[in-house]
Amino acid sequence: MEFAFYVAAAVALAATVMVVTRLDAVHALLYLVVSLLAIALVLYTLGAPFAAALEVILYAGAIVVLFVFVVMMLNLGRVALAQERRWLAPRTWIGPGLLALVLLVELLAVLGPTPPVQPGAISAQAVGAALFGRYLLGVEIASMLLLAGLVGACHLGRRTTEGT
Amino acid sequence: MNELVATLAGYSSAWFGPQWGPPVWVFVKTLVLILVITLPLFGCVAYLTLAERKIIGYMQVRIGPNRVGPAGLLQPIADAVKLMFKELIIPAGANKFLFVLAPMLTLMPALAAWAVIPFGPEVVLADVDAGLLYVMAITSMGVYGVIIAGWASNSTMGFALVCVLLVSQSLNLSDIVNGQARGRFAAEGLNFLSWNWLPLLPMFLVYFISAVAETNRAPFDVAEGESEIVAGFHVEYSGMTFAVFFLGEYANMILVSALATIMFLGGWLPPIDAPLLNAIPGFFWLVLKIGFLLFCFLWFRATFPRYRYDQIMRLGWKVFIPLTIVWLVLVAAWMQTPWNPWQ
Amino acid sequence: MLENYFPVLMFIAVGLVLGGVLLAVGRILAPHKPDPKKLSPYECGFEAFEDARMKFDVRYYLVAILFILFDLEIAFLFPWAVVIPDIGFFGYAAMMVFLAILVVGFVYEWKKGALEWE
Repeated sequence: MEFAFYVAAAVALAATVMVVTRLDAVHALLYLVVSLLAIALVLYTLGAPFAAALEVILYAGAIVVLFVFVVMMLNLGRVALAQERRWLAPRTWIGPGLLALVLLVELLAVLGPTPPVQPGAISAQAVGAALFGRYLLGVEIASMLLLAGLVGACHLGRRTTEGT
Repeated sequence: MNELVATLAGYSSAWFGPQWGPPVWVFVKTLVLILVITLPLFGCVAYLTLAERKIIGYMQVRIGPNRVGPAGLLQPIADAVKLMFKELIIPAGANKFLFVLAPMLTLMPALAAWAVIPFGPEVVLADVDAGLLYVMAITSMGVYGVIIAGWASNSTMGFALVCVLLVSQSLNLSDIVNGQARGRFAAEGLNFLSWNWLPLLPMFLVYFISAVAETNRAPFDVAEGESEIVAGFHVEYSGMTFAVFFLGEYANMILVSALATIMFLGGWLPPIDAPLLNAIPGFFWLVLKIGFLLFCFLWFRATFPRYRYDQIMRLGWKVFIPLTIVWLVLVAAWMQTPWNPWQ
Repeated sequence: MLENYFPVLMFIAVGLVLGGVLLAVGRILAPHKPDPKKLSPYECGFEAFEDARMKFDVRYYLVAILFILFDLEIAFLFPWAVVIPDIGFFGYAAMMVFLAILVVGFVYEWKKGALEWE
């Protein structure tokens, strides 16, 4: 299982690098799907099949589809490719790269001494008990967030129908 | 049977050594079981196409295919052979990789979801706790095969399933079926009145209608309407690329029917608790119920005119979503009362 | 427990391989004589009028957002539904508050006409 974890983690990392560096948005999205599936596999090897399933259903199955819609809606062509190529020029990498390096060092320092996660499966019942017990407030706040999303989506759609 | 399995496992250990023998054996056994599920499924798809043409034919006072073999029974085989020898055309300007990947992505979820479908008590390839979630996850990947209409149906199906979960409190498909064997009516032998379809009748209808939309079937087949857009994206696919798409879509139909059977129609359970009916293996009942739902698919196609896209949207957002939320609240409240029928 | 999922992962792999095998069978058995006219994209016998990757209607985008929001809601409903006997009336009330907040949003959408599709 540990081997599967490392393979999935490596795939996730590689795919995420490809997401950032691909020039064509559609290709980047395909790598994003791979990356999300790999993360689902990582969650699953850590003993959280429920979280893994949600990762696939929500992120890979719904949110990336939305991204695909956006890319299709904007219909990016050669212009966007050229623009992306300009944005991804080597010297633009220096600043973010250095800052990310600082974070990476910090992360390694923090993660170093912690003991490895104990493998053991977390059932959907356990997730439910935690959500509607200890973390109930978080759940209710999440519903407010979803409410904001609903209202926001409504206005996004409305403005464009008036514009046509 | 068990002796045979043990002998084969022994051979595996003998050939590959004690360290590699058992894993190789598990691998081979699983592969054989997977093929035992998928190959008959391909056969079912083939004969489902024939059944569709025959049944719709009779509904329209025609006799349907009757030339190939006795009563047209070899028609699907002739079709398969024809598709195999048809040229594959990949339109210039299409991304070759994506063009070929799309049919594979449609077929894969429709097959892989069967891993957790129980065919009878204890007869399931992978008896996983989060079976239902797995099915939802794998079928949600199917949208990449076809990013199109009927897509919102996914959400309404999810809502309908929440009600099933409420009454069965398990994501394991076998547990959901077994849960339907209990209840007031089941105690009197009238099992079929204890299945989820009756107390959750609106949810069953929402689920099944959403399933019809989800599988792009008439009357919700706006993406493949042959009279308006000459079957949509099917035009560009020829030969085996078309066949794989087609296989995926029909396998999906069988899959959603199987799921509806498990969630609402008591899976492999016999309708009445009588010794004679109990003697018939559960698999027979499962197939019978799936067959009935598939017949409904064909019946809908022959009966209803095609919905417009805006009508589908209205049905989904303004009828199904409010209805499912209301029913969800009602069922949850019902369970809080002493009259809870799901004890 | 996680070992239970092995047949599932294998089934996914076999599903992809079977699709690949079927396509390969077609590629081997079928003739392969491409020519530019045959491969050109067409619209009812004409040359294509516009780029096939046409712009998408913004309304599909709206539908997609709504779809995701309701999917997220289901992500909360699923774990709730499976533990309802353990969390009792308190859990029931908690979910009713959750749903009530979302129904407010849903009613707002409805009244604003975001669910219409002209």
